[in-house]
Amino acid sequence: MKVHISDGILSSSVITIGWGVTLLFVVASLWWSNKHLDIVEEIPKFSVMTGAFFVASCISIPIGPTCVHLIFNGLLGVILGPLSYLAMVIGLTLQALLLQHGGVTTIGINSLNVGLPALICYFIFKKGYERRISLKTLGLFLGGFAIVLTVVLLSISLVSTGEQFKEVAIGATIAHIPVMIIEALVTGSVVAYLLKVKPEMLPVEPDNLE
Amino acid sequence: MVFPRIDAYSALKSPIHSFDPRAKIISFSILIFSFAFLNDLKAAAFALGFSLFLVLLSRLPLSFVLDRIKVPLVFFISILVIMAFTVEGAELFNLFGLSVSSEGVLLGTLIVLRALAALFLLLLMLGTCRFEAVLKALYMLKVPGVLVQMLMFSYRYIFVFIEEFLSMKNAMESKGFQLRGKSSYSLSILGNAVGVLLVKSYERGDRVYKAMISKGYTGNPKLFIKFNMKKSDYVLASLLISLAFCFHLYPVIL
Repeated sequence: MKVHISDGILSSSVITIGWGVTLLFVVASLWWSNKHLDIVEEIPKFSVMTGAFFVASCISIPIGPTCVHLIFNGLLGVILGPLSYLAMVIGLTLQALLLQHGGVTTIGINSLNVGLPALICYFIFKKGYERRISLKTLGLFLGGFAIVLTVVLLSISLVSTGEQFKEVAIGATIAHIPVMIIEALVTGSVVAYLLKVKPEMLPVEPDNLE
Repeated sequence: MVFPRIDAYSALKSPIHSFDPRAKIISFSILIFSFAFLNDLKAAAFALGFSLFLVLLSRLPLSFVLDRIKVPLVFFISILVIMAFTVEGAELFNLFGLSVSSEGVLLGTLIVLRALAALFLLLLMLGTCRFEAVLKALYMLKVPGVLVQMLMFSYRYIFVFIEEFLSMKNAMESKGFQLRGKSSYSLSILGNAVGVLLVKSYERGDRVYKAMISKGYTGNPKLFIKFNMKKSDYVLASLLISLAFCFHLYPVIL
């Protein structure tokens, strides 16, 4: 069971909604980066990070008889912030084209399912940082929470295609419980590591850290 | 972890390989969208047969195709099995007290057929020309330059980072590290390794930007590959696009 849905499974209305929302987010991200950043500088930097996240999500972690791949959308949200949705669109397009994880028609809905949680995680991280919650705990929580949100969105897109998909959605949810736990542990550890060696990669002000 | 070489067999010779990349992307995308939403079982079976025919025509090695479809196939089959047992309807047969409904089997089969057909087409579209040519074709088809460049640079750095991560993994394993999903210690070490990968990429991004500026990068892609549409490209493209519509009209007419 995997989180990226292939072609030929969802109904045309779910696919249309996915593309609509994703196009909206892509336009908004490009508009935002034009306004706040230098796009010429951002293209290479953003792409290199997106490539690194792609590779990180290819790591297969053996557990029992199978292995799992992490999604890293919580971590991506924390590090890339407002551009994380766009990074997910680029990453998923490459996954669909290069690895056949997911499909062409489903790039829109798959991006929505992982990109929206990434953005939400970014805002929670910023709020938590203002409230002075330990960043490692925040990382741990957001790593798992992003997967919970993704699985909820995935189930919604399956069930709104047809009632017959209810059990498939339940199956997918159960399959993602180990992913959620592993992702939480790994994300917590990445955030703690970055805080130690490269705090400027996180949306925090280095002077405020004790 | 292996390199995602989707275009490993792009240098072969076949009618699909010599199809102009722009025309190929347009007509295959329309076909994929058409096949993915077929609602008729017979039409979906024909669609799968047609895409298999195109795969044979393209001369892509069978091992390459099988290797690429095995993971999605497991997923499709599991949907079919779950649906066969859970969708309510007329009982087809009884397996150890669990009833298999004909509605579930039919719906599951329809999904497997059209998903496989779309998957074969996707493999054909990307496996028969270099990935750079696909990206350039996208740019020429007016996909915004910023997005095409992001795809292109990310694609290039994927290969760099896979190599980098593999050497990190080698170094860790030579020191006795074992990656296990059940040990939280092992996962926290993996987290550090991912952190190193991200820090390296963050710093590399800075250097890449400076190097690109020094070579005159202005944010606009420069294209060196020239495509030219031949008469045969127009014929093949219009044939495929009209087929895409015929597959949807067929259940209405017959």
